[in-house]
Amino acid sequence: MSSKLIKIGEVSELLGISIDTLRRWDKSGKFSSVRTGSHGHRFYKFSDVEAKLNSATNYRNIAIEWVRSQNGFELDSQIYCETRDIFQSRLEALQFELGKILPLEGIVSLVIAVAGEIGNNSYDHNLGNWPDIMGIFFYYDEKNKSIILADRGQGILSTLKHVRPELNSSTEAMKIAFTETISGRQSEARGNGLKFVKSVIINNPLSLDFQTGNAFLHIKQNDSSLVIRETGIPIKGCFAKIKIEKTP
Amino acid sequence: MIIQLKKFGTTLVSRPSGKEALLAFRPMLNQINENEEITIDFEGVIVLTPSWADEFLTPINKQFNERIQLINTDNSSVKATLSILNQINNKNNL
Repeated sequence: MSSKLIKIGEVSELLGISIDTLRRWDKSGKFSSVRTGSHGHRFYKFSDVEAKLNSATNYRNIAIEWVRSQNGFELDSQIYCETRDIFQSRLEALQFELGKILPLEGIVSLVIAVAGEIGNNSYDHNLGNWPDIMGIFFYYDEKNKSIILADRGQGILSTLKHVRPELNSSTEAMKIAFTETISGRQSEARGNGLKFVKSVIINNPLSLDFQTGNAFLHIKQNDSSLVIRETGIPIKGCFAKIKIEKTP
Repeated sequence: MIIQLKKFGTTLVSRPSGKEALLAFRPMLNQINENEEITIDFEGVIVLTPSWADEFLTPINKQFNERIQLINTDNSSVKATLSILNQINNKNNL
């Protein structure tokens, strides 16, 4: 199947809208599918899903807007971590809050580890070299049980080009970052952070939306397919949404 | 010698803090006798990532290798981190 078409189940996951509602919206014309399956299964264009995803007003889309915009804009101090120290203290505060409602040494330790890896990656790869605004967007959306992270850094393609000059697309770079042990920081034995992220997501009730440049990836529990799609509008740096899917 | 990781913090996440932990602890490592066993105790650690572990545990593992024993590794992020470092370092104990 083309990566430009998405099954209704995945659309439901990405948008946080039930399959029944999507079927109703399809019938009424509010949000139409493209039927191409042999049994009339509903498929959606990724570009339509992306437009829908980015149209709502929420913190996820403030982050997307921040990394899409040409020059960036000032963020509320509550969601902006200029330095790693600020990020670390807010990450620990989130760990404490989540630990009140979920198993601290189980799912909380994993989700904080994943957020810690992604957030710290932004500082590791952009230290002294931020293109414009330094630091990251970091917010926990309690209603959707999602952690949103974003930076206006170099992005994975520029970072990996230091060691793989032949790379020329964000999709290729993203695939390498999630599957091979490689680092843009040459001569250092590192570069396993995103492999760890993938492994934790696949083995636990979590999901991840990750974007760098014009490459978009959605991974979830028990799904190691790693389908990378191209978005209409590229972003600067990286964007991630880590969602806790099921809670006891 | 027993290394209690909780003495470095309970949310062990970033590379700089792992690197700093190793630098601070280096004088203690230099005092270890030739045949002395080293126990790394994960009790009390709430979050561990491969970034922190790679800066602190990987060098210790390279230096002392078979003399290292890991205990209290039940925490989910500790298990996941050790598993990924195992795959990368292709070793049995770390």
